[in-house]
Formats: sequence, structure tokens, C-alpha cells
Amino acid sequence: MQKSWHISRRRMLKGLGACIALPFLDAMSPTYLKANPYEIPAKRAAFLFAPNGVCPGKWAPNTVGTDFDLSPILKPLEGVKDQLLVLQQLMNKHSISKLDGHYTKTANFLTSMKIARTIGSNVNSGGVSIDQLIAQKTGKETIFPSLVYGIDRISSGVDANVGFTRLYGASISWKTATQPCAKEIDPRFAFDRLFRTVIPKKDARPENPWKKSILDVVSDDAKSLQRNLGIADQNKLAEYLESIRSVEKRLENKDKIKDFEAGISPSIKKDLQHLDIRIDEYVDMTAGLDITEKVRLMFDIMTLAFWSDASRVGTFMFGNSVSGRNFSFLEGVKRNFHSLSHHQNDERRMIQYEIINHWHMEQVAYFLNKLKSIPEGEGNLLDNSFVMFGSGLRDGNRHSPYNLPIILAGGAGGQLCGGQHIIYEENTPLANLYLTLGKMMGADMDQFADSTGELAGIRAY
Amino acid sequence: MILRYLSSILMLALLKYWTLCTLILSSCLLAIAQPDDPRQKHYSRNIRPIFRKHCTSCHNGEDNKAGINFEGYDFIVKVVRDGELFHQVINAVETGSMPPEIRPRMSQSEIDTLKFYINGYLEAALAEKDPGLISPRRLNNQEYKYAIQDLLGIELNVDSIFPSDPSGGAGFDNQARTLYVSPLLMERYFETADILLEELYQDKDRWRSIVPAYESGFGEAFRIWWHRIWHKQDISLQKPTKEAGEVLFPFATLAYRRFLTPEDKERLTTFFETVYRESQQEADPFDISIRETLKLILISHHFLYRQEADPDIEQAYPINNFELASRLSFFLWSSIPDQELLNVAYRENLHEERVLEREVERMLRDPRARRLGKQFAIQWLELKKLSDPAFQIDPDIYPEYTPQLRDFMLQEVETFFNYAMLETENFLDLIDSDYSFVNESLADLYGIPEVEGEEMQLMELTSDQRGGLLGMAGVLTATSLPTRTSPVLRGKWVLEQVLGTPAPPPPGDVPELEASHQEGEGETSLRKLLERHRADPACNSCHKAMDPIGLGLENFDGIGRWREAYGQEAIDPSGVLKSGEAFSGPGELRKILLTKQDLFAKNFSKKMLSFALGRDLQFKDTPTIDHLQQTLLDSEFDSIHFLMELVKSYPFRFKKSDNKDIG
Repeated sequence: MQKSWHISRRRMLKGLGACIALPFLDAMSPTYLKANPYEIPAKRAAFLFAPNGVCPGKWAPNTVGTDFDLSPILKPLEGVKDQLLVLQQLMNKHSISKLDGHYTKTANFLTSMKIARTIGSNVNSGGVSIDQLIAQKTGKETIFPSLVYGIDRISSGVDANVGFTRLYGASISWKTATQPCAKEIDPRFAFDRLFRTVIPKKDARPENPWKKSILDVVSDDAKSLQRNLGIADQNKLAEYLESIRSVEKRLENKDKIKDFEAGISPSIKKDLQHLDIRIDEYVDMTAGLDITEKVRLMFDIMTLAFWSDASRVGTFMFGNSVSGRNFSFLEGVKRNFHSLSHHQNDERRMIQYEIINHWHMEQVAYFLNKLKSIPEGEGNLLDNSFVMFGSGLRDGNRHSPYNLPIILAGGAGGQLCGGQHIIYEENTPLANLYLTLGKMMGADMDQFADSTGELAGIRAY
Repeated sequence: MILRYLSSILMLALLKYWTLCTLILSSCLLAIAQPDDPRQKHYSRNIRPIFRKHCTSCHNGEDNKAGINFEGYDFIVKVVRDGELFHQVINAVETGSMPPEIRPRMSQSEIDTLKFYINGYLEAALAEKDPGLISPRRLNNQEYKYAIQDLLGIELNVDSIFPSDPSGGAGFDNQARTLYVSPLLMERYFETADILLEELYQDKDRWRSIVPAYESGFGEAFRIWWHRIWHKQDISLQKPTKEAGEVLFPFATLAYRRFLTPEDKERLTTFFETVYRESQQEADPFDISIRETLKLILISHHFLYRQEADPDIEQAYPINNFELASRLSFFLWSSIPDQELLNVAYRENLHEERVLEREVERMLRDPRARRLGKQFAIQWLELKKLSDPAFQIDPDIYPEYTPQLRDFMLQEVETFFNYAMLETENFLDLIDSDYSFVNESLADLYGIPEVEGEEMQLMELTSDQRGGLLGMAGVLTATSLPTRTSPVLRGKWVLEQVLGTPAPPPPGDVPELEASHQEGEGETSLRKLLERHRADPACNSCHKAMDPIGLGLENFDGIGRWREAYGQEAIDPSGVLKSGEAFSGPGELRKILLTKQDLFAKNFSKKMLSFALGRDLQFKDTPTIDHLQQTLLDSEFDSIHFLMELVKSYPFRFKKSDNKDIG
């Protein structure tokens, strides 16, 4: 055991079950690797964020270790319990703010750094988010380095009251500390972006043969200008150039695209066609208002992106922070999410808060089961992925950034030892989890933000 | 008394003398930031310790009381950067409101020292005119939409195509620093240009209105082919190239918002020729080549970015005529300048007052000026949230609220704002007015009889229930919760958006106030609940400012309908503002707000200036803000006069280069 692990022996004994060697560990033996170098499925990573915390007393399972009962909120995850890790007492140190309840706990959810308080002149999340760090590594292998999904637009305006731009409440993926990734919220656009060449639209036109030449000319032009600019200006232009380059890269990489298209098996194609129709129906029948269906469509797209190897990393936001989404479409809920999260220990409000939390877990379960339903290699897609879900605060009523609600599911290619409820030492850095996950995905890192070492007890080997 | 008077004169004289000294000092610019600057030394040794002694124990990085942290102010430049805050600090120290009573008092000499030196820094900073940096920025989604509309006559639904723009500064989505470009956005730019031009090309009539038919010269195709095969060179492109230039150059001039450089022209020509040569087998190589070159223009950064020249000059300088034309058109039209404005920029000097005024007048008469209602007013008033799909009014409680009704609510505000700005030319109408705009649906909601049709109609208001923004359903809905009204949110909105005096944030660990409102008690008990809440001194200081305003608007329900009672119990809309004025209902409340003209004028000036400049305001903008505020007050809120003063203002017409070394 590494010395830097911040976990007391007592906690360890309480939380860690014996990690029984799993069948697929054999498959990872060097001989197997040598014999079938291409048969090892890639590992995939998804990070899911929900705003407004969870109802106290209803999140944590009552018992720890491998033999734990799912709590009321986590109940929907029954079917994947053997691959589920409930991780307690993790906290994001830089989220602690006496000033603000939400923004400082959202923008840095995946960066674990301190965000700059600003209404817009110097937006800074403190660092690159873990998903983007992983994408820097795995993105070279796929057509799209990462997927950044959500269901809500960026809330407009600035929060004059606390002095933050609302952009912070809508962004968890940061390409650099100063550049948030653009979030896709429309299932139709998200689907077409990935699969247009495989499932052409009815009115599809062939790719513009001049696309590459046009991009070349405009980027040469911009480059010639860049030399004469101040630093800040150069950065803005660099964004433009980089964006063009990433579009160009996709055009140039004909082999990779061919590989991708060749990798679309008949069964993937069938699923894609099915999903394509469902997206159309969703738009036609609910005018895009059915939130449950929208979330599920986004998860289906991400699943198919993982399966077809269009991308290996994804993030998803269930809502922007301070989300006042009205959940009265759920039986028993009469108010909006944010108001209910300030339950004031009123039983009637807490019940509704819990129902909303429960709905979130149902959607997570949908995603996990979907991944699990897809066979891949010796196991299934979930075996080769990990999905982390969490919120930037524990109890919404107190904006508490301690002991965050965090779960991790999946096998990560046999690296995760699931089926445990672990209580770590108080205030264990959330960054320790990110360090562990980053390493599992092959990112070259020994430290992430305020990490003090890898998170104990979750690795199978 | 006399002694105090004398001493203050002495102080002033000293200050003036000292200001002069610092002016001389600061003329060697970098000196301000250098630690060996005597002023800086003095600050570190004598001034900063006073903050350390009295303020930092609460206002530090950890506790961060009221969001203020005195730890970071190690240099005078940082004090100046947050000049407005330090202005308030001096005020608080002078009036004794800080440090709080439970803490040791500051000695009079400490107070005097702080006041003298801090004010000195601030005045010295203001004495040096500074228009601020203007970062290059991409067009935001709406500007892109309007630019395409003005260039090609096609209306796009940008909200569904592009990821939404974040807001910055005073709350607008046109702020340079928050407008990012991502691969995703770049793809969409390309696709959009592709689709737009393809569609235009298919629509032969419209295409011909932009691109005249090209008659290829006799045997041209053959000659081109001949030379390519035998000489590996191109001749005979003179005719198509010349005619292409006649289409491409004027288009690019409009799109780039300036006259083209020889390099620009060459780049476009070369690309046109490449496509033209390669498309000889097509039926209409000329049109295809034009089409592709137009796409190139639409994804060029010259079109997508607003970028002003950044010459290597240390001092501030006036921006060039074309840049000023763009600043005007993006401010007043949210779009590119038209041909006429570009011509004026070329022929005349837009910096000249006479020319500038003439052009602004012309631009305000143009229908494009009405975009200000949507782009400025809706964002300033935080009403954009109404069209956010995540903001859902509860359909069971308010079945009348439909997406269509919501659009009408927004239209009322836009039309009203434009009317106040361009017709009555009086911004004070925004606070209170005897007219508004309604159509049939809104009239139904407001209980106004005999209005028909969807068209917004000017309506004289006969009772004092409504008038100005505070009587508008859009405002009243956006400041409610999905299930009921929220007096706190409405009060907060008036303080922030109208008066510009936001309450300090609630302490982070305090629950949302109205959450303590019990389920099932209904709206009846809101007033009582808020009263109970205000009994807590920690809450009282801010809620005393917010709650009475919101309670005074309780006659309007969660979607802005008039009501006299909550079910059986009558509504009591009377109240007393924190500043002491009493009112009996919304009509009198508005009349009181009318007396707070100086606050409204200042806030409005700030919002409009931030919108016009596309950046957040800084302390160095104080003189401009003061001037604009005074302009409003002196002219009784004459809107046209105000807009003229704004575009003539120093930061609107000048800029500083980004320092290449320091960044």
C-alpha cells in the first residue's frame, strides 16, 4: 500500500471487501496480450454531473463493504450493483466558498481547482478538467477526442449578486483553464455529427469537395495576421486556428474514418437506425420537451459513440447549477429542483427532493444497463468502461461541499473492483479519484490538482 | 468647525499638489507597478498594514466576508483596478459602518490616512484617461444571424444551430472575453455557410440578383484546357476573374466591414481561379466558383471576428474610421455596417461630431435599430431566461401560459423599449408610463377589453395598475418561481436591474429564504413569513430593501395577471421602502422609483456602455459613466441625446493596444 493514501486502517477494514480475481483478469495476462494484440477492447470513460445535491439520509447505503444494501436513491442501480462503487467522504477542497453556493462547486467539478471570481473578463477554471486530460491521451485514437453533452443551454446573464458569470454553472469540461468546451444539447445535432456518414440524412448532400481548400486558405490568412497581435488577441485567434485544425484533421484522416466506418458492425448499424428514428419521433411528438426521453437519447448516442469507437470520453450535465427545472412531471413533485433542494428539513419537501434524485439515478441506471447490454470482447461495454456520477454539493439545503455524493460504475477493462460501499477518511480529495481514473485510462500523470495519491481500494489490480 | 474647514482645504490643496506629483511620476508608465516606486513603497509600508490590522481578519481568502478579500492588494495598481470597491471602503470607514462594532475601532488618524492616500491613488488614476483594451471577438450568435440577414437576406434560427453564447460584463452575450470558438462551433460555421450558399444557388432568381450571369468568351474552355495541358500555365482567366471580382469584392467589403487590401483580393481571386479551373467539366463553373468563394468569406476570421488593428503604440489612440463604423453598427444594429456607412467611413471623418451625429440619426431611423429592443433591453432586464427551455412555468397552475403567450410578453417589452427610445425619446418611460403595447392575448391576460389580433398595439393605460416595465407580464413572470410569485426575487430584480444597487450575497450557508415557506400554506402567508424572516438581524439589512418592493407587486400573480386577493384573503400591497418612503400599492411604488432617478440613470448608463463596448466596465470608466448619468439627468432622460453622448464618449472612440510584452 502506498504511504500517500489518505485512508485510515480502520476505514479500510470497514470498507474494503476482498477483491476476488475476476475471470477477465486472466484475459489480461501477457500471453493473451501477445496472442491477440487487437482484441483488447479500448477503455471508455464517462463523467456525469447533476446539480443541486442529494437528499440527506437517502443517498448513502446503511452498510459498508461488499455486502451493502442500496439506499432509496440508489435503488435503480440494483441491476449493476456488482459493478457499483459508492464512494463516501470525498471532497473538492477548492469548492469551499462562503460567498457562493453553486458556481464554485460546478465549474471545478472536474478540475478540482479554484475558479476565478469574475463576471466574464477573466474566466478561469483553474485547470484542465480530467475528462479533457484523458481525451488528450485517448483522443488521438478516435475521430472525436471527447463528447461534451448536456440538456440545458448556458444560462444567460451574470449573477450580479455573487459576482459570477453563469457560464461557470454550465461548464464542467475545460479544454484549458480559460476555455470551456462547447456543450451539445440537441440529440439530432449530436447524432448527425457522429454518424452522418454512416446513417445519411434523407436530404443529405455529399461532403463539399472544396472544404479542405477553403479551410486551408482561411487558416493561412489568419496565421499571417497572428504575428502582429497582442497576447490576448493571439489567444483568441489561436482558438479559431485550433478549431479549424481539428476540423481539418478529421478531413485528412481518411484512414481513421475508414476504420471507423468499417468498424460499424451490422448490429451497431441496426441500433443507429433505430436511434435515428427515435430522435425524429422525439422531436415530432414532444416538441423536444420530454426531459426523460431527451436524457436517454443523449445517453444512447454516447453509448453508440463508445461502441463504435467514435470517441472514448464523454461528459454529461443533467442540468446547469442552480437549475430551477420544474419537476412537476414526476408523480408527487410540485416544485422546481433548486427550491426543493433547500428543503429546510421539511419532510414534505425532502420527499420531493428525493423523488427528483431518484429520477436522476433511474437515468444513470438506464445508461449503465444500456452499456451492459452490448457485448464486447469477452464481456460487455460496461466492463470496458467506467461511469462516474456526482454532484458538486452534498445536501443542497446547506450548499455543503463536503462528503460529495459520488458513485462509480463499470469495470474499466477489469481494473475496477466494484460492488463496494467505501467510506474514506474525512475530506479525502476528490482529485484522488480523478488521478486514479486518469491513470486507468492511460493518461500520463502522477498528480491531479490537490490529489495526495490514488484512491485506495477500488483498483482490481 | 472653522478648524475642520481649514484642514479640509489644506487636505485638498495637498491632494492636488500630490496628484500633480503622481501625474508626473506616472508619465513614466510602468513606474506604477514597480516595487521601487516611492508611492508603492509608502503604500506597502504605511497603508496596507492598516487594512491588515483592521480588515483582513474577516475579509480574507478564507472567510471572504461580503465577497471581499483584502489579502490580494499588494500593489497600488490592484487597488486602482478595484477602485469602485475602495471608494466604498473609504465611505464605510468614514461613516463608521466598518469595521463593525464588535471589532476595535479605527483611530481617526488611520481613517484620515486611508482616506487621503486611497482617494489620491484613485484620483491620480482617473486623471489619466484610459479607454481600456478591446479584445478581438467573434460575432455572437445573434450578430451572426443579423449579419447573414443583412448580407444575404436569409433569416436563420441560430439558437438551434449554434451552442448558446455565455454572458459576461454587465450581463450581455456580446462580451469579448466570454465568446469562445470551439471545433464544434467551427463545424457549424462551415455547415451553415455551405447550406446557405447552396440554397441560394438553387434559388435561381435570388442567385442571379447577387451573381450576374456569366457569358464565357468564345472558345474559353478550350483555351484553358490547351494551356493547362501544354504549357502548365493559366491564361484566359482574365475575363472570369475580373467579373468574379465585381461580385466578390463588394460582398467581402461588406462582410469584412472595411475596404479590402490587395492581399485580401489576391487571396479571393486565387481561390476563385483554383475552383474555376477545376470545375471546367461542370455546367456553370463560374457560379460554382463564386459560390465556393462566398463560403470562404463567410468562415474567414475577417467576417467571424471583430478585430481592430493593434499598432505598437503605448498611448491611447482613436480607432480608425472603419472600426468606428463597425462599433456603431454592432451597437445600434447588432450587425455589420451597411454600404452607406462604409462609404461615409471612407470619404469622411466619422470622428467628426457633425458626421457622427448625422450617421447615428440615420441609423436610428433605420428599422435595424429596433434590434436594440431584443439585444439590449431583453438581456439587460434578464428576460432572456423566459425563452430558456429549462425555465418552465408550471402548466397545472398556470395553464394560460403558453410559448406563444411568452413570446408576446417579450414582444411587449421590446416594442415598448423601442418606442420609448425612438418615439417618445424618453427613457424614464421605462419606470412609469401611461401607455404600453398589447395584442389580443396580452389584453386578455391584463383584462383590457376590445383588443383584437396578434399585432402589438399602442394602448393608453387608464388605471394606475400598470405602467412602465414593472407592470409588464414578461418582467413579472421572469421574477416569479414556476409555481408562484416571489416577492424577494421581484425586489431583488428592481434593486439589481433597475436601480443598480444589488444586495450583497446571502451568506453561503444560509438556505434560500422562501424555502422556509411551508408547503400548503399558500401565498397568503408570504408577508408574514417575510416579516418573521426580517426579525433576524442577519437577514434584515438586505431583506428590508428587497421585500417591501416585491410585496408591493403582489397584486400581480406569477404570470403577471392582476389580482386583489389570494383566494379569500385580500392582498395588502402597501409598504415602506428601506429609504423611508411609504406607498399604498404598485402605482405609488413606481412614483417613488421615479424619484430615484440618479440611481436609475447611473445603472442604465453602465448597462448601455458595457453593451456598446462589449466589455465589462472598470474603475477607469468612472468619468464616462458619470458623464452619461449626468447627461440623462440634465436632459430629463432624452434617449437620443444619451445615445449621441455615448457614441461620442472616449472609450467608444478610442482604444489602447494590448501590451505585447506583458500580455
